[in-house]
Amino acid sequence: MSGRHLLVAAEAAVLAGCVLLALVVIVIKVVRGQRQRRHEAALRPIRPALIEVASGEDEDGSARRALTATTGATRVAVDEGVADFLGKVRGGPADQLVEILRSHGALREAVRLLRHRSPVRRTRAALLLGLSRDRGGVPGLVEALDDHSAEVRSAAAHGLGLIGDDGSAPALLGAIAGPGGGIPAGVAAGALLELGVGIAPALREALASTDSRTRAVAAHVAGVGSFRSLLPLLRDLLAGDEDLTVREASAEAIGAMGEARDVDVLTRHTNPGEPTPLRRLCATALGRLGEPAAVPTLEQLARDPDPRLAELAATALVGLGPEGRAALAGLADTPGGATALTLARLQGALA
Amino acid sequence: MSWAAMLDALRVGLTWVMDVTSVPVIAYFLVINTSYLVLITLAALEFRSYLRQRDSAVRSLGGELTPGVSLVVPAYNEEAVIVTAVKAMLTLRYPQHEVVVVDDGSGDATFARLQEAFDLVELPRQVPADIPVRARVLGVHVPRDGRTRLQVVRKENSGRSEAINLGINAASEPLVAMIDADSILEPDALLHVAKPFADDPTRMVATGGTIRPVNGSRVVAGRLVDLQMPRGWLGRIQVVEYLRAFLLGRSGWSRMGGLILISGAFGLFRRDVVVEVGGLDPESIGEDFELVMRIHRRMRDERRDYRVQFVPEPVSWTEVPSTLGVLRNQRRRWHRGLWETLWAYRGMLFRPRYGRVGWVALPYYWLFELFAPLLELFGLIVVPLALILDVISVPFALLFLALAYGYAVLVALAAMSVEEWAFHRYDRWRDLALGVLSAVLENIGYRQLTVWWRLQGWWASLRNKKQVWGVMTRTGFDEGVG
Repeated sequence: MSGRHLLVAAEAAVLAGCVLLALVVIVIKVVRGQRQRRHEAALRPIRPALIEVASGEDEDGSARRALTATTGATRVAVDEGVADFLGKVRGGPADQLVEILRSHGALREAVRLLRHRSPVRRTRAALLLGLSRDRGGVPGLVEALDDHSAEVRSAAAHGLGLIGDDGSAPALLGAIAGPGGGIPAGVAAGALLELGVGIAPALREALASTDSRTRAVAAHVAGVGSFRSLLPLLRDLLAGDEDLTVREASAEAIGAMGEARDVDVLTRHTNPGEPTPLRRLCATALGRLGEPAAVPTLEQLARDPDPRLAELAATALVGLGPEGRAALAGLADTPGGATALTLARLQGALA
Repeated sequence: MSWAAMLDALRVGLTWVMDVTSVPVIAYFLVINTSYLVLITLAALEFRSYLRQRDSAVRSLGGELTPGVSLVVPAYNEEAVIVTAVKAMLTLRYPQHEVVVVDDGSGDATFARLQEAFDLVELPRQVPADIPVRARVLGVHVPRDGRTRLQVVRKENSGRSEAINLGINAASEPLVAMIDADSILEPDALLHVAKPFADDPTRMVATGGTIRPVNGSRVVAGRLVDLQMPRGWLGRIQVVEYLRAFLLGRSGWSRMGGLILISGAFGLFRRDVVVEVGGLDPESIGEDFELVMRIHRRMRDERRDYRVQFVPEPVSWTEVPSTLGVLRNQRRRWHRGLWETLWAYRGMLFRPRYGRVGWVALPYYWLFELFAPLLELFGLIVVPLALILDVISVPFALLFLALAYGYAVLVALAAMSVEEWAFHRYDRWRDLALGVLSAVLENIGYRQLTVWWRLQGWWASLRNKKQVWGVMTRTGFDEGVG
């Protein structure tokens, strides 16, 4: 084949590719429009009944019966509509919606679909099981935390949080550092906070994990959930963790639920040798502790050469009662103190 | 020597040049466009994963571990847009964010407009010097209501990079977003761009958001309400260009773990990391690129486990140049910034310590971003010359050009297909048709002009010519009544 023939062949291939791609753009748009119209058409006749059940106005149960009795494509539309509403409603109406799914066999099917080869199906199944808040879905969802597809793992974690079974806490914490990137830390933290107080032992174990993301999540959850029994471990992490984010999360947690003795703990980490972000965070945490014993430390920090630290320390004094406010008044000649006073007055915290 | 003899000698020389370079040049064209296709394929995989996660992720957006964000907005003579922009930013959906406007010594009423709109009062606040800033700070102002999370920092004029550095110093949240005053943000922009930080709080150091052209669209009260293709071909071609190079190119690099460029118009960074590396370099022309490179180098030098990620969801809309003059200045500046940054970080090339950045991303940028206009100019000179001198026939020349540009059209159409599948932001058939047409027209004139401008920028840098930023003349949006 000559050079010219090669060029012509390549040109023809490129041209064909261009035409094909232009057609792809058109087909994608047409198919999406058709699918949307079909979905809306299927949903239109059942929407009033769905709204009636979801809003709790189906007193005689007729709307629920009508939705339960659907078949074929309409039943699929009902199940999709119910799943949409389940993300928005709670209580009795949610229970009734779940009952419709159960009567359609959709929850049983969802458990089965968790093993489907399509990750899209598995993700949807995990979400549906979570939204239904059916404890029967827990084993499947725990297993799905190790799914090779990230979106399935994420949906399973989210679903476990919605169901709220504290027995799934170790699996959730273990999955943060799981294979393939594990589960997103934020999703894990959100789910764990839905599981109640029974997760303390799992959190204790996670605070000693070798994975920094797991420790950061556990420290955050411990603080937000006020797991005071974990304070000793949090103090250790603040003092010596190799990861700054973990130390910061621990400082925040201590500030949120610490005791009088934590004034000393946090004060130690406002020393000039500590990383600047940690010093600033500990100053704020000292204010959050609400212990008047923190006043001398904060007063001293309000004169620190770091203007941000000085301002944060002065601002923290506002929340420490009369002693804190008296100390702040004495700092009016410093930029940090003057700024904190001005802001407190603008916010109405001080007269 | 007679004319005929001179022409013969030229013909012989040209034939020799073509013989020697034809195979490398064709190979270069094939490899560069194929690399685009590879990046688009990687981007498509990234989008597929992103879209699958979106259903479940939306419910967790702004949830636990979502860090606070300071939006740093450098403003120089932005009196026309600043109040609308700040109001739009303050009303973004996000659990905890503040806006820090740095008035970079504006000569117009930028500060007066803000003062009037937000009833600003001066604070005796000292801005920390976490990042060294040479310019003098003139004052810090906050709204009198004590609730609106806005700071306005005034300083002497010293340029955008210094303004951003000062804004980072003034920022009080753990993440900082650098945003231009004229950027139009989606209401959920911050939620999407900050999500990777909540997903991976110990490793994520920077994320880049997708920027798209907004020319011709309807904007109300700083919000995009009706997206349309720009009215002129210059803008339309840039829409396709942004899709191919920015959205898909960067998504592909992100998937590969080699993202080295986050646009200065919308980037989100861990504040402590930016402070650690010294902030933006005020002397750099490609300061956004330079910052990301410095972060990569620092993290790799210290063997830290870190991530830089691109978020494909369209989050920020910007007005792109609508005149050739403004476009020329922009492209000269971009290419100059590219060259200066690549040269500054040449020590990272092919060093095992720098992983994919040193072995894949940087060599790619050298070969296919920096040298591309040089190779293209070579082709633009040699092929017509060969045609005139009868070294090649007209059909052969046309075939050659059609193949080179046809492949570029193919890549642009692939980018459009992926966009239509994943985000489908252009509703109208007309806009899609204009996009397809722009993918073709881009190769007739536009591409050749940008090649020339990019080389001018490079050449200016090599001659140490002072960079003039020029003025971005904005035609404004079709701004309805908010």
